[in-house]
This record gives sequence, structure tokens and C-alpha cells, in this order.
Amino acid sequence: MTDHGPEAAKLTPETRQVSLPLACFISAMALGLAVEAAAAALGLWRYRSGALVLANIVLAFGLIQGFGIGWVIGGRGALRGVFPVLFMVGALVGLLLEGLNLYWLHAWTFSDRPLLGIRRPIDKAAFLGVAWGFAPLSTVFLAKILVGGPLLAASAT
Amino acid sequence: MTPALSRTDKIHAAILAAGGGGLVCAYWIAFFRSDLTLPNFVHDVTDPALIRLTTIYLGFESAFPLADLLVAVTSGLAAFYLIGRDAKAVLFGLIASGALGFLAFIDISFNLLHGLYAPALLAQDPGLRLEALINLTCVTGAVWSIWRLWGHPLRRADDRPSRAHSPGPNGSG
Repeated sequence: MTDHGPEAAKLTPETRQVSLPLACFISAMALGLAVEAAAAALGLWRYRSGALVLANIVLAFGLIQGFGIGWVIGGRGALRGVFPVLFMVGALVGLLLEGLNLYWLHAWTFSDRPLLGIRRPIDKAAFLGVAWGFAPLSTVFLAKILVGGPLLAASAT
Repeated sequence: MTPALSRTDKIHAAILAAGGGGLVCAYWIAFFRSDLTLPNFVHDVTDPALIRLTTIYLGFESAFPLADLLVAVTSGLAAFYLIGRDAKAVLFGLIASGALGFLAFIDISFNLLHGLYAPALLAQDPGLRLEALINLTCVTGAVWSIWRLWGHPLRRADDRPSRAHSPGPNGSG
């Protein structure tokens, strides 16, 4: 099928390639904002300062998980096949971030409130570290819906 | 009392994180985004027998990422808990090592049955040599890790509140 007119020009693969990295970055930051807002509302963890929340949303979510992992690994083709790789890289980077914080940086601390029945800070950090795996996966999924790229079809690479 | 983190524990945690986690991720990123990990025969489009082998090989390999996800994540968790001197390091380390060994033997079995370890093939194909090296490293690493974790003092230790964020003696889960 051939597309015609100015509306079709917006949806060419070339246009998608240019805008997908930005879509991944913005989607990941939106996800980070939602996660941090939910955590603050439920009182799950506290940051040492407000700047660290912003750094987490922009750097950890937007730059590392969204742009760095989401787009670089999952942004150049369909998600079919590559989605376990997105999850494993996201989870390992998440475990690294949580480990750095728990053992050395102490940028955020967990409250005494249980997280899905988990009470010990080390277990909460481990659980959240693995849960980071969903960040690049959901980011790419969301970004591709926004931009209109291939989702689950055979890889184009 | 929780055993102290020895120098070998630090090396073990580094191997679990970098080898079981990092290298597994690196392999699959290379698999999906480059030709670095692929054997030479997958590029041969003239021999029907090799085309058939390529189809089987790529189908077989593409089944591994989901299984390797288990290895990578449990390896990362084992390293995470080992650094925190927590008994769960043994649980996740044994899961990771067992899964790694299991997957390595499936891969070895496939390669043996399809003659991919033939000396003539290995001599001319860097992709197959890399695969043979990965198979050998996975089996050796898995056996060493299981042996070490089974004799580790943490295997007999209870879970405890983390050192960094302990809420006190009554706060353990």
C-alpha cells in the first residue's frame, strides 16, 4: 500500500528513526515520574534531597534505561526475540544502581513499610533491582506506540 | 555472626556479576545487533545442506535468550547478596550456576550432534571457536561456583537485616 499526502510523510521509517530515541527518553522519564510519585504517595522510600529524585528520573530512567538500553538494544527493530535481552540488561543495571545505593551511596533509604510483603531493605533493593528490567521494555513498547514503529512483528534488522 | 566478605568472595561476586550477568548480556546484544557471535557457515547461501543447518542453528540459538535471562538475573542477585553477606547469595548462586551448567550442556549436546566441534571446522571458523570457548567456560564456571557456594559459611547463616540499612534487631523479615 502506498501512502500519500503530508500526513503520510510524517510516518515514513526515516522519520521514525529520528524521533524514536527521543520518544524512548521521554517515555522512560514519564515512567520514572509515575514510579517516584507512587513511591512518595505510598511512603516506600525517601531521598536524601530533591535533586536526587530529579537525577534518578532524568539519568537513571531517561538516559540509562530509556535511551541507553531501550533505544540502543530494542529501538532498531521489533521487540519479538530481543525482549528478554532488554529485560536482563535493565535488571542488571537496576541491581547495580540499587547495590551502589544500598552499600555505598545512600542516596535513598527505604521506610519501614513493607513492599509487597518484603520487609528487609536488602530484599526490597534486590526486588526493585530486578523490577528495573521492566523499565526499558515498557519504555520501548510505549515509545513505539507513540511513534508508530514495529512492535511484535519479525525483526527488521 | 555473619561471615566477613573474603577476597575470594569479592572475586566470586565479580565473576557472577561480570561473567554470569554482563557477558551473557553482551553476547545477546552482539547476537542481535552484529555478526560477531555467528559461525561462518550461516553466511553460505550456496550449499543447501548448510542453509538447512543455518535455519536449525538460528532457530535453536534464538530459544536461549529467555533461558539466559534466568541465568543473568540470578547471577546478578547472587553477586548483590554476596556483597551484602546475605545467605540468599547461596540460593541465587546455586540457581544461576545450575541453570548455566544445564544450558551449557544443551548447547554442547547440539554442537556434538551436528558436528560443530570438528577440528577442521573449528580451525577455520572464529565464531565456532568462540562458542566452544563459551561452552567450556560455562561448564567450568558453573562447577566451580556450585562447589564454592556449597562449602560457603553463608549456606549455614540465617537471613539478616542488611548492614547499611538495618532497622534494628527486631526489624528483620
